[in-house]
Amino acid sequence: MLQPYFQAMNDSSIAKFISESLWVYPLDQAIHLVFLALFAGAILILDIRLLGFGMREQSVAKVARDSWPWLVVGFLGLVATGIPQLIQNAMREYYSEFFWIKMYVLPVALIYTVTVRRMVSQAEDGRVSPMVQKVVGLVSILLWIGGVAVPSRLIGLFT
Amino acid sequence: MSELLMPIRAVFEAVANSENSIALRESQYVWSLFEVAHVISMCLFAGLIIMMDLRLLGIGNMQTPFSQLQKRLFPWQMLGMALSAITGLVLVYGDPMRFYSNIFFWMKMSLMVIAAVNALAFHYIAYFDVDNWDNKVPPFGAKLSGVLGLGLWAFVIVSGRLIPYNWFQNQ
Repeated sequence: MLQPYFQAMNDSSIAKFISESLWVYPLDQAIHLVFLALFAGAILILDIRLLGFGMREQSVAKVARDSWPWLVVGFLGLVATGIPQLIQNAMREYYSEFFWIKMYVLPVALIYTVTVRRMVSQAEDGRVSPMVQKVVGLVSILLWIGGVAVPSRLIGLFT
Repeated sequence: MSELLMPIRAVFEAVANSENSIALRESQYVWSLFEVAHVISMCLFAGLIIMMDLRLLGIGNMQTPFSQLQKRLFPWQMLGMALSAITGLVLVYGDPMRFYSNIFFWMKMSLMVIAAVNALAFHYIAYFDVDNWDNKVPPFGAKLSGVLGLGLWAFVIVSGRLIPYNWFQNQ
């Protein structure tokens, strides 16, 4: 169904521009990884706290509020550097199972993060039981690391 | 210059000829597993280093005193570093000559040494009067350490990702 759109990206002048340059694509991949580190840091600092480790002297709500802007910056950076990779590799991505795993889990992880995880982590102290916090943190790690990051790396390794 | 590097080259060559190294190099799945594990370990290590450096710059995690953040993130940063180092060593062990002749690999190694010196310098120079700025925006020295940390680790990640692109290889 989406194949014509992927084909169009594949044949676009942007894809041509990227593939004709020696540096653009590799640097885009490299900067994508730097934003990944930023995003992962902002995710993990709160998830580790939700699990009951890490910054235990600090309230979950404060860790959540402090890490939020960097989570947004990291995510926007990932999208901005991810799209050129998709355009350049459109047909390869289209036929990669890992790409589609990533694309299905990504919206789930994103919605989960801005709804359930955000509400639970910004609740006042004592209103959410530690057990619930632990589950919310664990699900977040599983979605982002297991469902998004791992398949992303596998796109390039198995196609 | 190349003669000075001969002992290093000899070590890399010896490893490359070992049975286990060849097995790792030729096993597509085990190799890939370590590639994936290396990136995930990097997320934990670099991610939490970045969180600490943002606090040092006074632009992130400001509601937590620096000493508390440092103390509580440290074990996780060390776990991330250990996992990155182990998975990275396995990858080099599996294909030593590919890394030996790669400029980006040596760039990454050098940048990591400089980043480690920066971390030690921070610990022994800028951290001693942390009581004066624990709840505030840190002073210039600590900020400098934070910005150097961010820049150096970013370049470590970039040069690591560029290793597969061996534009400068001439052998």
